[in-house]
Amino acid sequence: MKKTFLFLMILLFATSAYAQKRYDEIKYPPLGNFEKANVEEFKLDNGITFYLLEDKELPLISVSATVRTGSILIPNSKAGLAGMVGSVMREGGSVNYPADELNLLLEDNAASMGTFIGFSSGGASMNILKEDFDELLPVFVDLIQNPLFPQDKINLTKTQLKSSISRRNDDQASIASREFGKLMYGKDSPYTAQTEYATIDNITREDLVAFHKEAFVGNNMTFGVIGDFDTREMKRKLQQAFGSLPAGNETNIIFPEVNYDFQPGINFINKSDVNQSYVLMGHIGGLRENPDYAALQVMNQVLSGGFSGRLFQSVRTDLGLAYSVGGSYGSNINYPGTFSLTTMTQSATTSQAIDAIIAEVKKLQNAPVSAKELTDTKDRFLNSLIFRYDTKGKILNERISNEYNGLSEDAFDEYVEELKKVTIADIQRVAKEYLQPENMQILVVGNANELGNQLEKYGEINEIDITIPTPQVDEEKEIEGDPVKGEEVFSNMAAAIVSNPSEVSGVFLDATTVLGGQNVPMKATYNFRTMSINTEMTTPGGTINLAVENGQGTMNMAGQSQPLPPQMVQPLTQQLKRDLVNIALKSDEFTSIFTGTEEVDGVEYNVINVSGEINQTFLVDPETGLPGFVRYSEFNPQMGAQVNIEQKFSEWTTADGITYPYLMEVFMNGQKAQEQTVKEHKSSE
Amino acid sequence: MRVQKSLFTFAMALSVFALVAPSANAQNLKEFEKKVTEFTLDNGLHFIIIERREAPVASFYTHVDVGGVDEPVGNTGIAHIFEHMAFKGTKYIGTTNWEEEKKVIDQMDSAYKDWLYESYKSNVDSTELAKKRAKFEELQEKAKTYVVNNEFSQIIQNNGGTGLNASTAADLTNYFYSLPSNRAELWFNLEADRFKNPTYREFYVEKEVVREERRMRTDSNPIGRLVEEFLAVAYTAHPYGRPVVGWNSDITATTIEDARKFYETFYVPSNITIAISGDVDPKRMKTFAEQYFGDLPGKGKVAPPVTTIEPEQRGERRFVIEGSSQPIMLIGYHGVSDTHPDFEALGLLGTIISSGRTSVLYKKLVEEEQLALQVGAFNGFPGTKYQSMFLNLAVPNSGVSLDTLEQRIYDEIEIVKGGSITQEELDRARTNLRAGIIRGLANNTGLALNFASTHATKGNWRDVFLQLERYEAVTLDDLQRVANQYLIKQKRTVGSVINAGS
Repeated sequence: MKKTFLFLMILLFATSAYAQKRYDEIKYPPLGNFEKANVEEFKLDNGITFYLLEDKELPLISVSATVRTGSILIPNSKAGLAGMVGSVMREGGSVNYPADELNLLLEDNAASMGTFIGFSSGGASMNILKEDFDELLPVFVDLIQNPLFPQDKINLTKTQLKSSISRRNDDQASIASREFGKLMYGKDSPYTAQTEYATIDNITREDLVAFHKEAFVGNNMTFGVIGDFDTREMKRKLQQAFGSLPAGNETNIIFPEVNYDFQPGINFINKSDVNQSYVLMGHIGGLRENPDYAALQVMNQVLSGGFSGRLFQSVRTDLGLAYSVGGSYGSNINYPGTFSLTTMTQSATTSQAIDAIIAEVKKLQNAPVSAKELTDTKDRFLNSLIFRYDTKGKILNERISNEYNGLSEDAFDEYVEELKKVTIADIQRVAKEYLQPENMQILVVGNANELGNQLEKYGEINEIDITIPTPQVDEEKEIEGDPVKGEEVFSNMAAAIVSNPSEVSGVFLDATTVLGGQNVPMKATYNFRTMSINTEMTTPGGTINLAVENGQGTMNMAGQSQPLPPQMVQPLTQQLKRDLVNIALKSDEFTSIFTGTEEVDGVEYNVINVSGEINQTFLVDPETGLPGFVRYSEFNPQMGAQVNIEQKFSEWTTADGITYPYLMEVFMNGQKAQEQTVKEHKSSE
Repeated sequence: MRVQKSLFTFAMALSVFALVAPSANAQNLKEFEKKVTEFTLDNGLHFIIIERREAPVASFYTHVDVGGVDEPVGNTGIAHIFEHMAFKGTKYIGTTNWEEEKKVIDQMDSAYKDWLYESYKSNVDSTELAKKRAKFEELQEKAKTYVVNNEFSQIIQNNGGTGLNASTAADLTNYFYSLPSNRAELWFNLEADRFKNPTYREFYVEKEVVREERRMRTDSNPIGRLVEEFLAVAYTAHPYGRPVVGWNSDITATTIEDARKFYETFYVPSNITIAISGDVDPKRMKTFAEQYFGDLPGKGKVAPPVTTIEPEQRGERRFVIEGSSQPIMLIGYHGVSDTHPDFEALGLLGTIISSGRTSVLYKKLVEEEQLALQVGAFNGFPGTKYQSMFLNLAVPNSGVSLDTLEQRIYDEIEIVKGGSITQEELDRARTNLRAGIIRGLANNTGLALNFASTHATKGNWRDVFLQLERYEAVTLDDLQRVANQYLIKQKRTVGSVINAGS
């Protein structure tokens, strides 16, 4: 009997373990009691507000300021200034703790401090071990109050910003979001201000100092303090440390209206090195204060709430068209958000994915959501509410964020109540009222060769040019020197190169260019009267013919002709202008100043600065009258930077009255970049 | 649902690991001894429960000791594909009729294989091929009719689940999310069900999703392309040279049958570690564990190890991708696995020379000479379980050539080899390591991840703290020695992207 019982027990256990119960048969115990921690608030005479929250779990303290400022306060001509203030404040250190000293002090204590300025708020933060608090608080205050803004760190930041600009078209996603912003808010809108080489050049140290002085004042700052401390003692320390900061004036941030014109459009940016289209589409969105905010949020969840959203279900799970898909009607606090839908899909399925997404938007308008969808969406939200407060840090941050944005302390609780009331009819109503799927701007960043004509059905394609604007060349400095001798050396040089200018209109070259270790034989005809080029290059891949005339270029390869893009025509034309024969022929269009002599490899050259359509410095050999070197600086679009070029000429040979260097070596920033050897040259028609 | 591939994600993850890994001090360990309960089920499945009563929530983390390295030849990407399949439901979740659906799925898989094999024939009959494809697609459409879309994930989210995700790396696969702690049993129920009853539902559509993930992270991303090429060049024999997301043709070639074999081989209890951190009662968790995971099959089975050892490199390897994006360079040296005695010294070396504003590479190359927008050095790429690489990342400022920057990095490495690192630098690195551990102890997901993965790789969660002793033992001589031993030309692979237009 006993044995049977045991056997039965085993059998029962085994069966129950094998046939696991269904998830919906689980009975959950009630959620444990949880009291939301109380945030302590106090204010100093200079306007600084502090919110304190003790959190003794770990021996750490974090202090962070939210500052009423932002890049929106900056004119677009100085775009980048606000971000630079945030960055150089920290990088440059403070009066009492200059950069090197500050960095050592912090890293020796495993402490971190940071400063930043974003679009419509700024901040400063310190995260340290609690034992270092008394030592590091004054350092933090000094960093906020007395940043040094040293010129070397400003220059460093400028260099880095410029490098980042040169890289901004490398990543598909960042191109798309940047250009979509411009389609939504307008090209010159403060909401899409773009940092350019030129705007960085416009920024001075005085600008940084002035911006900081306005922004980091008591009336603009709110601090959150959290960690392992005693509130009473902490208040005393903060009072003492921050009491002397100036009160200043509270910054009034004005958010300009957005004039958006609803209309359909298809926009395209070509990126030849991708096999996936990045799609972003939509139109302007709304404001947080909209009474329909809660209904719109529920609608967003139905459309694209994680694994449960319709876009994920349809475009990803059912159709397998994308890994990433989503969309929402954005509601900002201070200015309109955007309604945007996005996905990444292989080039071949671009229009299929676009259509599938649009179909889901229309479905929201044309049919009510199911009761289950509404319940599920609300459950998802309400059941996860506990995660809103699962750390004390979140509680503190929400409080400060509401305060900064002028929302009431319980703005979120009010929203929760409104959300509970949202009905099926509400969702359909707001979808109809706020979404205009027929009136969206569609933006595709993708590979034109792979896309074919898929986008044509959406209308006339607006191809967006994302060429990075080159910086304006610095105003020519006043060159000091001898203009009389300058003209003499220059006209002698011109005569030494072309002895019979009236008979010469161009030059033919049979040459070989060494580029990146590869020999490229070429035959080129330059005409300096019509400013045209005809070049035939022999490459391992076949013969390539390049022609430029009247500012238009064509490329011929394997019997196929195609127009040259402007970014290729421009350097070819520039090369034509810089040709020695061209300069010699047009010597009377230039002015020349003699600036002294310079010895290179035992030769004492006359240095002349020649300016006109182009500006260059020649090192002229006094014996032959021919230039040994020419120097200039130009913008290199590939490198995204101004580069210094030096060309070295030698092995001069004369034919048809033209003396031409048969060896030309080109150095870019001191490094050899190119070499050209000439086999034969003659005067050409 | 993602592949841990992005270099920057990797760098971040690594810095977190590097900081969190070793012990803060004995006191921390003592504190945690009180909070941690661990037990192993009869079938070999190990659980670590960390009590953290800050809020009524808990994080659940499943660490499977399988990754890209374990994939059979011809099936790269299968670890990641299986990870995606783990979200497709069970025998009653995600389906209207499993019995019927199962039959169609099996037929669909054979039809796919028919088509696949046909497509590899040297003289493909295109009519036959199209016919076979049509047959497969017809069955795929039929299988879809049983599917309840994303039901598994929706149950989790409807119950307040947050942070639902999974990832696959070279060394590991993990699955994680958080729930209100009163719903812990839901996690046990669903997690046990998905690993006991994988269905391979929507397998072939999901492979297309995975392919889009590959296009996004690798094909259409300059850094993704560089990293994939770099590993393929740096490793001749060891599977660290293969992409975790899989070669495109391998994704095509992988079938449900392959995935099932892979699952049966590697998803065995002894190869899985689970950690739960939060407001939970360990006794209750143990009861649930036995109830739900006690019958996870595979007791006594051991997952096969990777047996290939990367042969000694015979000379420097270099490659250049001529692209249309701005230049980036990776310089990697073959190093050691995390069980090798030099692992900690190489880790500290990377931190000291490149992490923080006081590090020599930052100070000289970024700040003073302004050659680099970014330089980094980190040990343990693309994984740490097997002999891996000490990797330098170099991003030049505009106008600076990669050659110049590369040479300057070598110059600085030579100075380090001469013994330039000071005791202050070493101490500073260790101070930050200790603080990093403390900072990592304040969130459930991080704790669960850290303790489970440490148990899986080191056999003991305490190594989170004990590891610091190994870091404390590293001397200046060790740093100099490992620099001279490993950072040499013969162990080097250099790969770069350049802008072909320039």
